[in-house]
Amino acid sequence: MTIRDKILVVEDEKTISGLIKAILTANGYDVIQASTGSEAFSMISSHCPDLVVLDLGLPDMDGMDIISTVRSWTSMPIIVVSARSYERDKVQALDKGADDYVTKPFSPAELLARVRVALRHTRSGPGSGAIANTGKFTAGDLTIDYDKHQVLIAGENCRLTQNEYKIVALLGKCAGKVLTYDFIMKELWGPQSKGNNQILRVNMANIRRKIEKNPAEPQYIFTEVGVGYRMIEGD
Amino acid sequence: MNWLKSIVKKYFPLSARSWLIFVAAMASASALCAILQRLTTSDTHVPMIFVLAVLVVALSTEGYFYGLLAALLSVLGVNYAFTYPYLKLDFSVYGYPLTFMTMLAVGFAVSTLTTRVQAQEKLRAESEREKMRANLLRAISHDLRTPLTAISGSIATVLEDSGTLSREQKNELLLDAKQDADWLCRMVENLLSITRISGGEMGQIQKEGEILEEVFSEAVMNFRKRHEEVNISVSVPEETLLLPMDAMLIEQVLLNLMDNALVHGRGTTRIRLDARYEGGFAVIGVEDNGGGVAPELLPHLFDGSLQLSGRGGADNSRCMGIGLSVCRTIVEAHGGSLRAENLPGGARFEFTLPLEDVE
Repeated sequence: MTIRDKILVVEDEKTISGLIKAILTANGYDVIQASTGSEAFSMISSHCPDLVVLDLGLPDMDGMDIISTVRSWTSMPIIVVSARSYERDKVQALDKGADDYVTKPFSPAELLARVRVALRHTRSGPGSGAIANTGKFTAGDLTIDYDKHQVLIAGENCRLTQNEYKIVALLGKCAGKVLTYDFIMKELWGPQSKGNNQILRVNMANIRRKIEKNPAEPQYIFTEVGVGYRMIEGD
Repeated sequence: MNWLKSIVKKYFPLSARSWLIFVAAMASASALCAILQRLTTSDTHVPMIFVLAVLVVALSTEGYFYGLLAALLSVLGVNYAFTYPYLKLDFSVYGYPLTFMTMLAVGFAVSTLTTRVQAQEKLRAESEREKMRANLLRAISHDLRTPLTAISGSIATVLEDSGTLSREQKNELLLDAKQDADWLCRMVENLLSITRISGGEMGQIQKEGEILEEVFSEAVMNFRKRHEEVNISVSVPEETLLLPMDAMLIEQVLLNLMDNALVHGRGTTRIRLDARYEGGFAVIGVEDNGGGVAPELLPHLFDGSLQLSGRGGADNSRCMGIGLSVCRTIVEAHGGSLRAENLPGGARFEFTLPLEDVE
């Protein structure tokens, strides 16, 4: 008997919960379900799932509180399910410690990709195994050489500035995961860098012009409008 | 103090335009009287002229303030400058109280009338907007019912099947149901977009500086998820500017325009998104290589009348109007404008966004 990853789905809408369960079960995960916040808490402590899929709108408590409480004692990955129009909720959830989010209506492929990335990141810690072994991150033609502090496209050095390199390097370490503007700013410019994210946005526009063939159709770094940036998953 | 402010705002609104009218009317009345004074010895025309001035002021300004001020000033002016005894205030002369009362009454009555008419006009505009909203709601509810019926029916057929349907038939039914459901999702997104522009007044949206190419790429990515078969090309200016916008709404506009190009374009296989900066605006275009828009529909594309009259085109009557009127609402709330034209071999929809926040 194989041991499978156990995923807790916290969702009060029965149909959505059933759908998520069906998608995950069909792809080799064990699924347990909770429909309220308090139920979720007791299941998290008794079952120790490998990952939690959490809907923010629960009847008995605010999803944000669940995230902060769970984060206070475990780094178990949390994926938030949210409606499209509420990007502020997404940002808040991510900044409170959620690992990623999917937007309703989501496709099975999207959900599975997020789950896969979140599980992998908690296993290998920040920076996937490949980076630790070779000092390089690759995705298609893009290579980030962490030893030489260079970003290459098809072997060509892109000549990023120092800040630009730092941004790409950070995204590469968390490849596949969305990083909020605030998170990136704090990592790069320290905790005082609150609020204005224009420097980051302009830096990113310059990066796109250096590494993407067409800045309006990026292949490597994707924008989640109003939330942050996501590097494509590595090879 | 708030009630005081609201009263002042309602009955005594101040504006540069009103002051200008007030000053101009009073000055020309005085000038006219000064001229006539030289020409004739009689002064019976003076009160007449000033009553006229009061009337003009009260009629063309908002609230009571200017009308009453004009009346008061006229009484003083008539009494002091233009009637016997000249350059002296004297209210005891026979008839002056009457003149005084008349002036004030005219000022007050006309101001009241003007204010009431203006209030009524506002009310009418509001009810017009309400009517448009109700129309949209009716059209949408009607449009939602059809796919829902289809979805429910398809799924029921598959569920109740006792082995007579082939695998392909089942797949087809489910695929239809999925397409209808996707379409419903998009419509609901559109409705949510409208509610995001709360209150119906302009400028109620939350704008933040966004880079155009980011919004483009997200819109294109979302569109590709649904329609892999379409060839989409995107070009943006080399210069990066942060445009004030609600990115979610502008993405909705782009998605609607691309959807339209595909669904109503009659044979669209290629869509092109482009942008340029021009005269304080970003001009954003969505171009397709389809059959173009029927010329008789062009003037009615954005007013929401298409889905009501069922003129959405013979090929696919569903909801062209709703998507486009949502686009228009969004673009106008941003202080831009939306237009459409036919090109040789396709159609081009173009909207503008101000580069600077207009508020």
